[in-house]
Amino acid sequence: MGPQPVVDDPDTAGFFAAAAEGRLAVCHCASCDAVLHPPVGYCRTCGGFGQRWQDVAPRGRIYSYSVVTHQVHPDFPTPYTLLLIELDERPEVRLVGRLDGRPEVHVGRPVVADFPPAADGPRRPTWRLA
Amino acid sequence: MLAEAALRDRCAVAGIGATDFSRNSGRSDLTLAVQAALAACADAGIAPAQIDGIVRSDMDTVRPNDLAHALGIPELTFWGETGPGGTAPPAMLGLAVGAILSGQARTVLCFRELNGRSGRRYGLGAGTTDSVGGAGTYDEFFLPQGLTTPGQIFALMAQRHAYEFGTRPEHLGRIALACRARANANPAAQMHDRTLTMADYLASRPIAEPLRLFDFCLETDGAAAVIVTSTEQARDLRQPLVTIRAVAQASIPDPQPGVQFPVLLRESITSLPGQAVARTLYRRAGLGPEDIDVAQLYDCFTITVLMQLEDWGFCKKGEGGPFVESGAIDLDGTIPINTGGGHLSEGYIHGMNHVLEGVRQVRGTSTSQVPGAETCLVTATPLPPGSAVIFGRG
Repeated sequence: MGPQPVVDDPDTAGFFAAAAEGRLAVCHCASCDAVLHPPVGYCRTCGGFGQRWQDVAPRGRIYSYSVVTHQVHPDFPTPYTLLLIELDERPEVRLVGRLDGRPEVHVGRPVVADFPPAADGPRRPTWRLA
Repeated sequence: MLAEAALRDRCAVAGIGATDFSRNSGRSDLTLAVQAALAACADAGIAPAQIDGIVRSDMDTVRPNDLAHALGIPELTFWGETGPGGTAPPAMLGLAVGAILSGQARTVLCFRELNGRSGRRYGLGAGTTDSVGGAGTYDEFFLPQGLTTPGQIFALMAQRHAYEFGTRPEHLGRIALACRARANANPAAQMHDRTLTMADYLASRPIAEPLRLFDFCLETDGAAAVIVTSTEQARDLRQPLVTIRAVAQASIPDPQPGVQFPVLLRESITSLPGQAVARTLYRRAGLGPEDIDVAQLYDCFTITVLMQLEDWGFCKKGEGGPFVESGAIDLDGTIPINTGGGHLSEGYIHGMNHVLEGVRQVRGTSTSQVPGAETCLVTATPLPPGSAVIFGRG
């Protein structure tokens, strides 16, 4: 099943709360609306302390990628393809995805996220080629 | 504040020492640290009891009092640590300089010890199957997706560098080959007896593409240490004078939190914080890249070297590949690098063996000596904000 994310950290819980409902959310400052990614509780732009989680379309593009062929972690059988993804609506926000095997990918290729029910842990975005 | 120029060359490295580098030392971390410290004292011609300051990295398991007790040091008046991890060694010298110039210590031992192969293997990354993340680590966004090791982070950087600048595997291979050739001349290097050709490099198994086996540094058991004193004191000791021309730590405006994974959220992932360290260090030293005779560049991976060649101004951004292909980093090139073999082929003492090799170059005692070398740059600028030092002759 692999390592499961902590979902109750005060700064990042909003991401997983949205994912539990099948939504992809980005953290903003509640006062000045600056994007706060990775999520934090303090806005260095305006000095505010509140978060606001804004839903975005679960779509992005591959910013970089790597086909992992050397087995290191027992829960991630190789080969698999790591994706570094920038979100279409918020390109300054990058997330990591994983594809089984070594599908044909390239920088700029579109990807989408689903939120499949997870029997073994919290729901989270699962990325696939669009 | 003292003018930066007035701080140049005020302290020196009076002694260097290391253990053997192996895959299985069969010794405790403490024994390794003691052996490196004794070797450094012998090199400097001082008794361990003369040490009154100790600086370590935040990833050493041996504490300053452990070493003071083991060596029989009667009184420490200064100790400290810095990091994270491999960014520490030049910054450790910086702490020693600060202690000496402020009168807190006279003879400071800086050490790094690890059983990096037989003990904790950093390259394995996070092996946990438990819940991960929280508490400012941001691991919850990375580890559950299968991104678990430093090599995978650098693979994503290398792929992006290839996309932006056309960098090819053969370019990275030139860095692996340069380090291996220097190791072949260095009897202390783990890869002393093993040659490497471009065909070998290209045929080696992929680990995290585009990176392959020989893009990765070694995992090593060993320790390395240096003795820092005032330049005045060093002149009275036995070794040729090697001064700390300047030393610097520097961060960037958006360093990102955590230890490693969030660096992938930086605006650019084809540069490292060494850019900032370079600006500060060159200014303090009153030197530029054209004044550096030889460099020891932190090489946890080949791509780390390629990016630093650009960050440190030895070539333009994006031109690291053609630059190494031209032979520039070879022993007869414009900027020979990693002349002991580096982390890729001498051993991985987390940046500290680079410091020792930098001292050897300025003393004129390297096994791959750059003729007449008077300045050597040593960097420790991998993923986090880091540090670097320039050695000179005073």
